[in-house]
Amino acid sequence: MRRQLTALVAATTSLVLIAFLVPITLLLRSEAEKRAISAATLKAESLAPLAFNLADGPLPSSPDEGFVVTVFEPDGRIVGAPAERTPSVALAASGEAFAARTRDGVEVLVPAQTVHGGAAVIRVLIPGSALYGGVLRASAVLAGLGLVLFTVGLVVADALGRRLVRSVRGLATAADRLSAGDMSARVPPAGPPEIRQAGAGLNRLAVRIAELLASEREGVADLAHRLRTPLTAIRLDAEAVRDPQLMTDIDQLERTIDEMIRTARRPVREGVVASADLVDVVRVRVGFWSVLAEDTGRPMSTYLPPMTLAVRTSPTDVAAAVDALLGNVFAHTPDGMPLQVTIRPQLKGAVLVVDDGGPGFGNLADLQRGRSGSGSTGLGLDVARRTVEAAGGFMAVGRSPLGGARVELHFGPSE
Amino acid sequence: MPHVLVIEDDPQVRAALLRALDERGYATSSAGTGLAGLHSAVTDQPDLVVLDLGLPDIDGVELLRMLRSVSAVPVIVVTARDEEAEIVATLDRGADDYLVKPLGAAQLDARIRAVLRRSTSDDPVSAVVVAGLVVDPASREARLDGRLLDLAPKEFDLLRYLSERAGQVVSKRELLAEVWRLPYGGADKTVDVHLSWLRRKLGETAQQPRYLSTVRGVGVRLSAPEES
Repeated sequence: MRRQLTALVAATTSLVLIAFLVPITLLLRSEAEKRAISAATLKAESLAPLAFNLADGPLPSSPDEGFVVTVFEPDGRIVGAPAERTPSVALAASGEAFAARTRDGVEVLVPAQTVHGGAAVIRVLIPGSALYGGVLRASAVLAGLGLVLFTVGLVVADALGRRLVRSVRGLATAADRLSAGDMSARVPPAGPPEIRQAGAGLNRLAVRIAELLASEREGVADLAHRLRTPLTAIRLDAEAVRDPQLMTDIDQLERTIDEMIRTARRPVREGVVASADLVDVVRVRVGFWSVLAEDTGRPMSTYLPPMTLAVRTSPTDVAAAVDALLGNVFAHTPDGMPLQVTIRPQLKGAVLVVDDGGPGFGNLADLQRGRSGSGSTGLGLDVARRTVEAAGGFMAVGRSPLGGARVELHFGPSE
Repeated sequence: MPHVLVIEDDPQVRAALLRALDERGYATSSAGTGLAGLHSAVTDQPDLVVLDLGLPDIDGVELLRMLRSVSAVPVIVVTARDEEAEIVATLDRGADDYLVKPLGAAQLDARIRAVLRRSTSDDPVSAVVVAGLVVDPASREARLDGRLLDLAPKEFDLLRYLSERAGQVVSKRELLAEVWRLPYGGADKTVDVHLSWLRRKLGETAQQPRYLSTVRGVGVRLSAPEES
């Protein structure tokens, strides 16, 4: 930002300086030329009364003028500096005074009528060096002034940029810390009014997020209390009745409520930022379940990419989803059935695939909707579905190449 | 007949708890608010207090602290919150045990008996020995033939629970409720996978069991290995 600001000021200053200095230099050059021509004309006119009386030899001159004076007499003599009798001289001899640009500079030609009837022509040549006398020095002074202004502009821009960058950097650092979950991060009040205003806004936002998280935490705790307390009374009353079916139903109700509370706790659990390495979590969970696979004679194969795949959910939730899927396979397929866990990296996100060689799903339509038919399979899949949907993805179920069920968790990108 | 004081604000839960405890032979009294409960704990001098943390007039943890400053009565905390940090903090503040709602009468009874046993016994909790297996609840260490076992916390809890009932068949429902404090879902494989790990660490397999044997359709039993 600081570099960009300096470059902007350099470009603007350069344009302004060019816009002023170039016309001024051209004007100076034009004025110098006019002045030189006027001086040369005056010189020629001052010689006009003497033109027909001049003897051969050098002409009287001022040493500082730098002009080259030649007088063309009507009798053909050329007095003064040697020069050719050009068509311009002939034109001037007809009585017309004028200035013309030549290869050596600008020549001023003035006719002078003699008493004998002929016309002498006084030619004053202004060489290139005399034509723009002083312009070079004036241009150098202007260029120097321009350079000073340009440098001052850069120094001021850099100082301003440094001040701006410092305050913007404070803003960016606080925003980074907040997005990383550090809710104590605040922007120190500094910099121009707009930056201060943005900082104050970010600070208010941080306070609000912290309040909302605290409120969420309280709300979830209250939810747990409100749901579990009446369930306690129901369980104790049901135990007095001693009805096994009633107890099974209450067990199922408890598990559903536990899952509801777990889902409601997700924002509190994740905080501001949720991120987990899918490959790492799956590797750990597969390792955990592998002993049961061995004990139940299930060939278990795993295909995990040798890379980190970040997904937008907490490691706890990913682990719960993987446990739910693997637990379902162990619970609903006979011992000895093969089991396969695969992670496929995608352009955006990743897919976790769990295949088994069991009997497959009975009613795919119900499972797609996350319904629990028997009160067992559905809840496990529901845990996985909620997790992947909270991570910006979706769940798909189908038939596995191993002959049984396939569950795919399509996780969205981590950010 | 031990006297149990129940401090619980919800009238239905309080009534159900009192009925369940009465049926199991406890003398009971109750209080619906924290301050009434504190008064009752000091004046009635119960043998044990069942304390609900969600009270209307005073925070349950604060009440526990106040109770501890005036009485050494054993306290079992009943809470709807199951976060580990809160449970640990509650135990650190002086609770002798805790139960997460919803709780069953049998579970509460077992906890009351265990806490009363501990509070009336002067001996420290002794290690359980099953043949070459020694489980020490005090140090949370288990040794097999003198070798220290590297157990995860839940594996230790599972081994301890089973070793304290050595020779008995324990159902998975009971293990889930007592060790994990979770309701039984019928299809839960959490217990099975932990049992598999425990078998590994005990140097056995499901096919060749030594200490841990599965009784199909009933549960699991920990017992001394048969001499071959």
